[in-house]
Amino acid sequence: MRRHEGLLALIRKLKTAPDRELRILLLGLDNAGKTTILRKLAAEDINHITPTQGFNIKSVQSEGFRLNVWDIGGQRKIRPYWRNYFDNTDVLIYVIDSADRKRFDETGVSSQQLLLQELVELMNEDKLGAVPMMVFANKQDLFNAAAASELAEGLNLHTIRDRPWQIQPCSALSGEGLKQPHSRLL
Amino acid sequence: MCVCPGMIIALIASAYDLIYWYLRPFIKWFLRKTTKLCELQRICYGDPHGALRTSNVGRLTVVNPRDLQTSLSPARQNELKTVLGNLGVLADSGRFTEDYAARPLAFSIKRILEVKQINPDIHREFVPSINTCLLQIYGYKQLVYSVEQLRKTAYSAANMAHEKKLMELWDCLMPLTPLESRISKNWTEIGFQGDDPQTDFRGMGCLGLDNLLYFASQHTQAAQHVLSHSRHPKYGYSFAIVGINLTSMAYHFLVQGKLKFHLYNFVNGCPTVDDFHHIYCYFFFEFDKFWLSEKPQDIMEFSRIRAKFEERMSSLLSRTGAVLNFNMAIETL
Repeated sequence: MRRHEGLLALIRKLKTAPDRELRILLLGLDNAGKTTILRKLAAEDINHITPTQGFNIKSVQSEGFRLNVWDIGGQRKIRPYWRNYFDNTDVLIYVIDSADRKRFDETGVSSQQLLLQELVELMNEDKLGAVPMMVFANKQDLFNAAAASELAEGLNLHTIRDRPWQIQPCSALSGEGLKQPHSRLL
Repeated sequence: MCVCPGMIIALIASAYDLIYWYLRPFIKWFLRKTTKLCELQRICYGDPHGALRTSNVGRLTVVNPRDLQTSLSPARQNELKTVLGNLGVLADSGRFTEDYAARPLAFSIKRILEVKQINPDIHREFVPSINTCLLQIYGYKQLVYSVEQLRKTAYSAANMAHEKKLMELWDCLMPLTPLESRISKNWTEIGFQGDDPQTDFRGMGCLGLDNLLYFASQHTQAAQHVLSHSRHPKYGYSFAIVGINLTSMAYHFLVQGKLKFHLYNFVNGCPTVDDFHHIYCYFFFEFDKFWLSEKPQDIMEFSRIRAKFEERMSSLLSRTGAVLNFNMAIETL
């Protein structure tokens, strides 16, 4: 029953909201490609991206919807501020660098374990309870990118039962797989 | 029907433009006959040297490649446009360097003298003056090219030269703390995001690193001073990341032509990449002061404060008298 709550709420909102406005939150580790996705969604130039200190926000029109997309920096120092942006989120987009297999942090934790840890923490946040989640397996244009299915398994996505979720392979560079993140969840 | 006053003003303005467009040749002819000087000479003698003179010369001499074909002006004028257009082609392909450009530049000036019938023995001031203006104008285009090359070069850990610079950056900023290893949490101490700075240069490529390294190596004391501010427990920020964001700001200013006035006033010839680094140092030093004076709640205010800072710098640079003097700024240290 509970796993459909978020989806039902989203459908209701899409159907009835007079403003047809959605708040989309982009999260993920640094260098995952959040800002590139944001700019690509807004049809802006992606050749001059810099690391995000703080956050970026853009309003994007898509299929008659106004998407307010919040792109929050992924740096470890900034992650504690993520929770300040959880309120009223309609869709959570979690971005992963699918080609980042070799990165281990100083405690010997692999980037996938780190991802897993961050994701579990996010899923336990009350304010994000039942918010539908789209996982973008980004950087599929790179030769060593992990397949979306491999990532889904590594991150135990199938154990998520309290919200609708989907994993989507994509390339922010080419724009492939990025279209209408909200309607794909329906 | 109601006609708003804005429309009337716009109509008058466009009518004025139209009349001016038709009258301009007559005005120029009249001035030429009475002063016995062509417009270029009137600018070179009348306007003070620097941004005002050079941008007025630029208005007359920079030709759009499109205009070259469609221009209806007399053949001799057209020839000048071709000659100057060639300087533009040199600059846009990165060949307008001081030694390489000397001959084409001398040739262009010779043609200007012939077409405009200026006797250099009588008008001795004209040649050095127009020479400086053209060096500044086409040198700016050349600088855009050189900076773009650096930006387009992605940082690569496989490139020894890149790695060496990165290590130098660490040594300049943290002389007392040796780096534990190439991949290390230490990098966050100078404001990179994670344990490998490589991924942080992104769209700014080697330009971001060169900017940071110039600041840290040429103005070490100032850079360390700014770094210490960036590590403040309440008003801190990520030094390197903010630095790369300021590289982006300086780069966009350059491409949009917003650094022209400063460079025309500051460099008496071809501006170099070091002159661009100098501007960057000024921005970084001033940004740090501005950030602290804004007393931000936390780092999440960066976008807002950066936008405000950009607006300030933009208006500072829009004055013809603009000179960003970094050495003046650090004297207050």
